[in-house]
Amino acid sequence: MNKEGAVQKAVADVVDLHQNRFALLKAAENPKIGWVTIYTPEEILLAAGVIPFRLTGEVGMNITESSAVLGNNYCSYVLSCLGEGLSGVYDFADGVIFADACDMRKRLWEAWGRDVQANTSYFLEFPNDASDISKEYFASQLRNLIKTLERQYDCEISDEALRKSIAVCNTSRTLMQRLSQYSKGGQKVLSGHDAIQIVKAASTGLKESFNTKMSTLLDALEASEEPAVSKQHRVMICGSYFDHSEIIEIIEGSGADFVCGDISNGVKYFEGNIDLNADPVTAIADYYLEKNTSSYRLDTDVRVEHLLNLVEEYKVDSVIYYALKFCDTNLHDFPYVKEKLKDEKVPVLFVEGERNTTNFAGMKTRIQTFLEARMF
Amino acid sequence: MQQETIGQERHIQYQNLLNLVGDQRQETEDNKPSLKATRMRSIINSHRMMEAYREGSRVAYVSEQFPSELAFAFDMIPWNLESMAIMLAQSVDVDKVFKLTQEHQLSRDICSFLRGPYGMMMENCYPTPDFVLTNTQPCEGLSKVGVLSGKGYKAPVLALHAPNTVDEDSVNYLVKQMEQMMSQMEEGLGIKLDPDAFQSVVESSNEAREYYNKTVQLLQTKRLPDVSRELQEIFGMNYFGVKENAKICKVLYEEALQMTEVETEKKKRVLWIGQVPEESHELLEHMRKVVDIVYWAPLWDANMMMLDEKEPLKSIAERAILYHWDAERTQVETSQICDDHEIEGFLIANVWGCRNVMGISQVLRDIANSKKIKHLTINIDLVDRNNYAFNHVKNRVDAFLELLQ
Repeated sequence: MNKEGAVQKAVADVVDLHQNRFALLKAAENPKIGWVTIYTPEEILLAAGVIPFRLTGEVGMNITESSAVLGNNYCSYVLSCLGEGLSGVYDFADGVIFADACDMRKRLWEAWGRDVQANTSYFLEFPNDASDISKEYFASQLRNLIKTLERQYDCEISDEALRKSIAVCNTSRTLMQRLSQYSKGGQKVLSGHDAIQIVKAASTGLKESFNTKMSTLLDALEASEEPAVSKQHRVMICGSYFDHSEIIEIIEGSGADFVCGDISNGVKYFEGNIDLNADPVTAIADYYLEKNTSSYRLDTDVRVEHLLNLVEEYKVDSVIYYALKFCDTNLHDFPYVKEKLKDEKVPVLFVEGERNTTNFAGMKTRIQTFLEARMF
Repeated sequence: MQQETIGQERHIQYQNLLNLVGDQRQETEDNKPSLKATRMRSIINSHRMMEAYREGSRVAYVSEQFPSELAFAFDMIPWNLESMAIMLAQSVDVDKVFKLTQEHQLSRDICSFLRGPYGMMMENCYPTPDFVLTNTQPCEGLSKVGVLSGKGYKAPVLALHAPNTVDEDSVNYLVKQMEQMMSQMEEGLGIKLDPDAFQSVVESSNEAREYYNKTVQLLQTKRLPDVSRELQEIFGMNYFGVKENAKICKVLYEEALQMTEVETEKKKRVLWIGQVPEESHELLEHMRKVVDIVYWAPLWDANMMMLDEKEPLKSIAERAILYHWDAERTQVETSQICDDHEIEGFLIANVWGCRNVMGISQVLRDIANSKKIKHLTINIDLVDRNNYAFNHVKNRVDAFLELLQ
């Protein structure tokens, strides 16, 4: 196999973790618990011997039943997740944790508890800022979660077990950060589609496998020829839950590079690391509250500052602000974020969609027009 | 910002407000309020609005269920961002305001109760605030409006995060946030909080609450026209902590007590759930001809809570948590309301953009079904008339009223 082939195979191996996740998760002996926001402390679940996996809403195409429960004018990611739950997609799991990352996810927790009989639902309070008071409170909520898991699985979640799981998750994050260095340097080693699939693979909860496969991928990349630096227009996507290869393909098909996703299936998932030398629960609480730069963070300036830092780090030329229809916090933030980007002379295009949108023709015209005016 | 500059700004803002709303208020068939308490509240509301535009006044933008006692302790006028949307609904020029928000690329999918205040601020009609005080009730959208308004006016934003769970950790967490907020207000205003003044605010709040609760009790068994509406207004005004509010509540109770002595025709009772339109709204007028409307929000447990005068912050924290629409608690509370008030129908008003009412509607319908109560869910917009047509809703409401008979 040539070096390029080795890279492609390594990418496919990592992505396979997501594509075959249901079979892999069902085959695993450990208990499984799902989650719906990247601010869920996977480290604690791993320390309890649980596999923490993300609900992606990917197979919940039929949202008729969930719309009847929660309403039509609702976040389609939330409706799709509930649709999956109602149709038994997650029956293999013991439960789902719902961290308070927005009002609609809170309602999803309630609906899940009421209507999805196969697994339990757990609500985790999650403050919308990172003050000392909030960190202390979030740590107390994490201790409650630990007690619940200890009771449920008749185990002890020791500091040592927590440090071990923190180390595993830190490794996953570090590996993804290493991969993103190529993008920062303008070296296109992956398609935008693969970049998102790799983050999704990391969130299937099969951390050890992910770390092994990612190391192989990075070794293959390092062994291959130094990639050329791309001179193409550099695009970032930010906003709501985003998982649309079709939109990435439109960007790349227009001759631009998708270099950074300030999204939960992008850099937001793997930024930073947890301090291994501090008290583990305190360190986990601090990490997740400080890492929160989503629209749920009350002070929009924290989000804007983070966004502008990414624009600089990844040398972004244009931003596509993607909002799921009815995603209130992202809709509220948009006029302010747009103004702040405008101040920095960064053009931005607002695009609205749904979790399982199938018609991209309208978006294609808008994105192509937006990019063409800036690229040529 | 210099006080003189704020004063000049507020003068302009008041004139803008009059141009936009005051001069164009729609005529209604009967504008005269029947209750003395309602007339008193109107006067007090007008006075506080005038005061808020005056140079030297301390104005705090607040969200709907923000603990006003904290603002009153610092002699601040709470300016309720959301309830001002109702005033907007009475303006014929509402389109102008919404057009502005659209030009500013604020999505039309956002609740009009939030787009309204946003537009009013863009029209420069609200008085410049000294502070923005916000919390996570009733929704994150309102908190966002608060934060973004603070950025627009360059006013400090002090926010509370109210958790959903009622336990010691959560209560202590909120108490600490309030203590920090109060010390930030001290710093911002350059004054120390007078403990006696705060005590007096808490006492006034309790005094009002005592009469409020007694009125609710009277309402349980007697038909008291307009009283439920007035309780809704008192709840929406959220003026607990000042003596005037205690007076309004006392007068309302006395009027309600007098009304119990007169036999009135008994009508079937419908619980209005969700956001409430202005009193003269055609839908309410239409329904009132057939049924007695009892408003849901003023009857929540949180509204009945007396504050512990020795540990006020702790009880304010508990109340703040209870204000969250937690499905389990809502189920218990609403069931009790149905029993206490002999409710025979639910009208669930699903205002376009209000995800919380929409998300909890199924819980409410389940309660209705378990109690064999008729229910109707309507999708309406009480502020933005571009999203609502009375005739469409009327057909469904008429069918519902027929079912009730």
